[in-house]
Amino acid sequence: MNAPAIQLSQVTRQYTRGGETVKALDEFDLEIPQGGYYAIMGPSGSGKSTLLNLVGGLDRPDAGQVVVAGEDLNQLTSSELADFRANTIGFVFQGFNLLPVLTAVQNVELPLLLTPLSRGERRKQALHALELVGLSDRINHRPRQLSGGQEQRVAIARALATDPQLILADEPTGDLDRDSASSVLELLERLNAEFKKTIVMVTHDARAADSAGHVVHLDKGKLERIVDNRLKAPEAGAPAEQEA
Amino acid sequence: MLRFPWLLVFKNLGGRPLRTFLTLASLTVAFFLLCVLRSVLGGLEAGIKASANDRLVVQSAVSLFVSLPDSYQAKIQSVPGVEDAIRWQWFGGIYQDPSNFFAQFAVDHDRLLKVYPEIHTDEAAAQAFLEKRTACLVGTKLAQRYGFKVGDRIPLQGTIFPRFDGQPWQLDVVGIYRSSSANVDEQTMFFRYDYLDETRRAELCGGPQGAGVYVLALDGRAPEAVAARVDALFRNGPQAVNTTSEAEFQRQFVSMLGGVPVFLSSIGGGVLFAILLAVLNTMLMAGRERTHDFGVLKALGFQASVVFMLLLLESVGLCLIGGAIGISLAVGSQAAVGNAISLVLPTYEVAQETQLLALGAAAVIGLVAGVLPGLRAAQLEVVEALRAEV
Repeated sequence: MNAPAIQLSQVTRQYTRGGETVKALDEFDLEIPQGGYYAIMGPSGSGKSTLLNLVGGLDRPDAGQVVVAGEDLNQLTSSELADFRANTIGFVFQGFNLLPVLTAVQNVELPLLLTPLSRGERRKQALHALELVGLSDRINHRPRQLSGGQEQRVAIARALATDPQLILADEPTGDLDRDSASSVLELLERLNAEFKKTIVMVTHDARAADSAGHVVHLDKGKLERIVDNRLKAPEAGAPAEQEA
Repeated sequence: MLRFPWLLVFKNLGGRPLRTFLTLASLTVAFFLLCVLRSVLGGLEAGIKASANDRLVVQSAVSLFVSLPDSYQAKIQSVPGVEDAIRWQWFGGIYQDPSNFFAQFAVDHDRLLKVYPEIHTDEAAAQAFLEKRTACLVGTKLAQRYGFKVGDRIPLQGTIFPRFDGQPWQLDVVGIYRSSSANVDEQTMFFRYDYLDETRRAELCGGPQGAGVYVLALDGRAPEAVAARVDALFRNGPQAVNTTSEAEFQRQFVSMLGGVPVFLSSIGGGVLFAILLAVLNTMLMAGRERTHDFGVLKALGFQASVVFMLLLLESVGLCLIGGAIGISLAVGSQAAVGNAISLVLPTYEVAQETQLLALGAAAVIGLVAGVLPGLRAAQLEVVEALRAEV
């Protein structure tokens, strides 16, 4: 059996806000297998984004262990974490986060600078990624010349460009209209089904959550349950069954 | 070796065209001024640097404005080490209008060209200068300025030496000289000392007797020793003298400007400091505005050092471009500025050393102004940076 893509053990992350300590994640455990497509849901402040940040190596836990793609992230230096992100993770953000001064293809090419590819190879790979998301005709457009849905597809192309094992999406449909959201969700499903990418998506959108294989429900920093969408019922015997 | 996102440096420079333009304009003006100020200082020093090591100047120990007796010439000439001694007298005449100012000196005509080999004129002019009592030599720039040519008669109204008949002195241009040293500028007129002296002795004009200074050409002996001998010779009068090197004599004129060189240097320093603050402010604003972008870059896997370098290189690039434009403008306007100030500063040149210094200063300002915003950007926490307002 393959090792899990993501494994969180007894992870605690707390913040101090206005003199008050808030536990964003509290002794949290989760395993996501390779090739899994997981949606993370929960009310605001439940710890969804904190979870994504920890898995993506953007933040560190106060306690516990975060292992992603076989790497114990606690053991990595800041510089090693940056390399880890470059090699292993593709990020898709709610606000797209494209650099406004660069064109679509330049934005997609950006993470490829961190690979040993030649200039020609980088361009070829970026164009391929844009073709995959259906934007071959928008390669020289700047972000402000694109619609929200197109921007998000460029962001997905950028996340895909380096062929990462894991795609982390933070509210990828949050700023999109219904049609654009549908096309983005279809794209993510395709990446999971066709390219076997492990996807973890934080969302408030029930429709987006339905497109994932599993839905992880959080509340107050704890795992509430995991729903297997394929069964359309809570997983029997799974940790999701363990109410917090 | 992974690649640096150079494209972002260039794109970011053009990201805010108006701000970039205004910052570049400030840098351009600052470095243009810096080059001009330094060139003016260089011009003030040029005469000193170009002064001959084997010439001395003898002046009254009391003041430059006290004349030395003509009888000193023979005595000085006899001092061991002195090859020649020629008299110089400031004339201070007015050509047509007081605003037409230029320097005129009465000099010993038969030895001027020998003692000053840097003054070049043709053989005919040199011969005519020897033969014609009212002859004068004018520099090329002076000739260009007033359209003087050989054969012209130039009337000069005496101020220090006014003619009693109320008429101007008449001087005949017999040659146009050029100078191969900043020590002698090309906006001066030289005429014969004997013409002045004979007119003075005939009591046809007013003015002091004697010569303003003596310029000594040496035979190769140590200048300090010769100077000491000359000073010793007249220690007991009738007029004590002070003998200095030509460079020291020139330096006296610069020092007469009082704190001007220091003032100019201070302005230059102030300009640099002001532009440093302006660029620092620009880069801090740029860094703050791009907080979110830096968060994205870091999330994508770019190292903190890359984020630091992005701002540093942008700052250095901005300063080098602005500096280069300012320097180019200073070089391009060299002739025009030089002409405009030629009367007060005969030598004005934006030297290569000045250009390199200005470019170096631009690079240093860029580095200094880029470090703080760069460090701030490098130290940003990714999560916090991504939360920043776009």
